[in-house]
Amino acid sequence: MKIQMQNEECKLKNKGFTIWLTGLSGAGKTTISHLLERKLKEFGRNVEVLDSDVVRTNLCQGLGFSKQDRDINIQRIAFVCKLLTKNGAAVISSAISPYRDARDKARKEIGNFVEIYVKCPLEVCAERDVKGLYKKALKGEIQGFTGVSDPYEEPLNPELVVETNKETVEESTRKIMQKLVELGYISPKSPVANVYSPEEEARIKERLSRLGYI
Amino acid sequence: MVINKKKVFVLGLDSMPPELLFDRWLDQLPNIKRLISNSIYGEMKSTIPAITCPAWVSMMTSANPGRLGLYGFRNRSSYDYEGLSFASANTIHQDTVWDILSKMGKKVVVIGVPMTYPPRPVNGCMVTCFMTPDTKCDYTYPHELKTEVESISNGYILDVGEFRSDNKEPVLKTIYNMTEKRFRLTRHFIRSKEWDFFMVVEMGPDRIHHAFWKYFDQEHPKHIPGSKYQDAILNYYKYLDEEIGETLNLLSDDTLILVVSDHGAKKMIGGICINEWLIQNGYLKLVQYPAESTPFNKLIVDWENTMVWGEGGYYGRIFMNVKDREPRGVLAPQHYEHFRNELIRKLEDLRDENGRNINTKAFKPEDIYTECNGIPPDLIVYYGDLFWRSIGSVGNRTIWASENDTGPDDANHSQYGIFIMRNGKSQYGMRREGVTLYDIAPTILNYMDIQVPVDMEGEVLQ
Repeated sequence: MKIQMQNEECKLKNKGFTIWLTGLSGAGKTTISHLLERKLKEFGRNVEVLDSDVVRTNLCQGLGFSKQDRDINIQRIAFVCKLLTKNGAAVISSAISPYRDARDKARKEIGNFVEIYVKCPLEVCAERDVKGLYKKALKGEIQGFTGVSDPYEEPLNPELVVETNKETVEESTRKIMQKLVELGYISPKSPVANVYSPEEEARIKERLSRLGYI
Repeated sequence: MVINKKKVFVLGLDSMPPELLFDRWLDQLPNIKRLISNSIYGEMKSTIPAITCPAWVSMMTSANPGRLGLYGFRNRSSYDYEGLSFASANTIHQDTVWDILSKMGKKVVVIGVPMTYPPRPVNGCMVTCFMTPDTKCDYTYPHELKTEVESISNGYILDVGEFRSDNKEPVLKTIYNMTEKRFRLTRHFIRSKEWDFFMVVEMGPDRIHHAFWKYFDQEHPKHIPGSKYQDAILNYYKYLDEEIGETLNLLSDDTLILVVSDHGAKKMIGGICINEWLIQNGYLKLVQYPAESTPFNKLIVDWENTMVWGEGGYYGRIFMNVKDREPRGVLAPQHYEHFRNELIRKLEDLRDENGRNINTKAFKPEDIYTECNGIPPDLIVYYGDLFWRSIGSVGNRTIWASENDTGPDDANHSQYGIFIMRNGKSQYGMRREGVTLYDIAPTILNYMDIQVPVDMEGEVLQ
C-alpha cells in the first residue's frame, strides 16, 4: 500500500503542467507567480517562470504590441511552455495575453493547461501602476496599451479566477494550489514535514531544547 | 553602459544587546568604535516574539511573523495535539533580500543566516545555518561548495554542540572555534567570490550570553563574584572586535556596511512553569500528575477537562482547547474572546515568589500582526517582560523555577538589538532612534537602486 502511494506521488511529481496567468498589467500576475514558484518548489517540483518582461527581453526582443506581434509573443511563450511541460516541469507563464483566441491556441498546444484569470478592475491596476505605464498610457504616450487603448478579452472558462483587489496574494496562491490538487497535478499531502528525517528532527529538537529555544 | 558597482556587506551578530555593546564596553572595542564613528547606529526593535526564528526572516523579508506564518522555530501544522512542526527554509514564502537580488542578476554570498536550511539556489553561494542537522548534510549551494568550506575552515562548525553544561571550558572553546572558522571563511569568500551582496550571521554572541551572563552581571540572581569567567563575555567581544576589524579592512570605503542583530539579551531571573500555573488555576487537567518533572508532551492530558495549555521557550505560547477546532475542544467559540481576555488579565498579574508583579505582557496575534497565516498561538506571552522564560514541564508543584528545565541558562532575549550602518556618507556617530528590523531589507534594496516591493513593511534608512 505504501509503495503504491509512493508510486502515485512519483507519477504526480513528473506530470508537467502550465499555469497560465492572464490579466491586466498590474493585476498581480508576477507577484502571484513568485509565491506560486516557492510553493511548487516545496512540493519538490522543477519550476520555470516565464515572466513576460523577461520573455520580451530574451525570447521576443523586437516584438511590439500590435495584435500580430502580441500573437507571435504568445505563440513563442506557448511553444516554450509546451516543451517544458512535456518534460515534466511546472511552468508558470505570467503574460497579459489579452486575446482569447491566442490563449485558446496556447491551451490546445500545451495540453496540461491551467488558465488562471488574475482579475482586478482597471481603476485599481491604474491606481497601483507598479511600472508607471498606466500614467503614460492615459496621457497617450503609449499606444495599444491593454485596458486603455487595446482590448482585454476576459477568459470565458478559466480553471480559476482570483480577484486580487479582494484577496491577498497568499489567498490567491492558496486557491491556485488547491486547484492544482483538484486537477491532480500535485499531491494533497503537505510537503513541509519532509525537510528533516525523523532522526534529524529529533536531533534538532534536542539541540534547540539545550539551547533554550524550546 | 553604467555598471552598478554598489556593494552591501551585512554582518549579523545574533542576540547583541545595545546596553553592552554601545553603553558598557564600546571603549574597549576599537574597531567597532571606529566603525560607529562613521555610521548611524542605535537600538533596533525586534519582532514579537524576539527570537531567532522569526526575527532574522522578518529582517530579510521585511514581513511580520504573522504574514510569514512563523511564530517560532516550531509551529502548529494542524489543530490536533500532536505537537509542533519545525520551520525551515522551505516554509518561507516571502522573498528574502538575496532572492530579490539574485533575480535581478546581482551576485550574493549568504553564510549562516538562520532559516536557510535546506539550501536553495541563489545567484552566488550559500552556506546554511545552525538549523542544519550536521555537516554531513548538504549545507551549501552549490553542492560542490561544501568541499571548499570544509577545507578553508578545517572542519566547519554550525553550532555549539554540548551547550547546556556546567563544564564551561569546552563550551567557551567551541564558541571561539566556531566564530574563528566563520570569520576565516567570510574573509576567504570576500576575497575569492564575486559579490554585490554579502551577508554572514555569527551565532557566538547568543551562545556566550546564555552560557556566561551570570558571571559578569552583579544583578543576576546566580551571580558568582570573582569567577574566572567574570570577563568571558567581554573578552569574547574583544575577540569579535578583532575579527570584525580584520574583516572590514577588506571592504572598500564605498561598501554599505550593516552590523545588525535579531534581538538583544538580558539576564534571566527564572522560569514560569506555565502548565503548573494552568493546573493550579483549573484550566488544565492531567490524567495523572507526574512523580517528577516531565516534559508536557510526555504527559497524558485530560483534554475533555482542559481549556488551555502552554509551550516552553524564551517566550510563552498559549493554546486554547476550542470546541469544533481542536479534536477534543471544550471551550465554546462564543466564549473564546471573553476567556482569552480573562487569561490575559490573570497572566499579566503573575507574581514572583515574594508576591511582586513581574510585569508580564500577553499579546493577541491579530493585534500585533497585519495577518495571521498558518496557525498562530492564541496568545504570545513575555513572562516578566522577558526576564523570565516559559517552562512547559510539569512535576515540581510550583510555578517558579530558578533553573530552566533543559539545563542551566543565564540569559533571555530582549526586545531591542542593535544596528550600525555606514553608507559612505559623512555621518559621524549619530545615534538614531525608532529603527526596526523591518527597515533593513528596504534599506539594502534602495541602496542597490532596486525598487522596494510595496509589501515590505519597513522604512528606508537614510
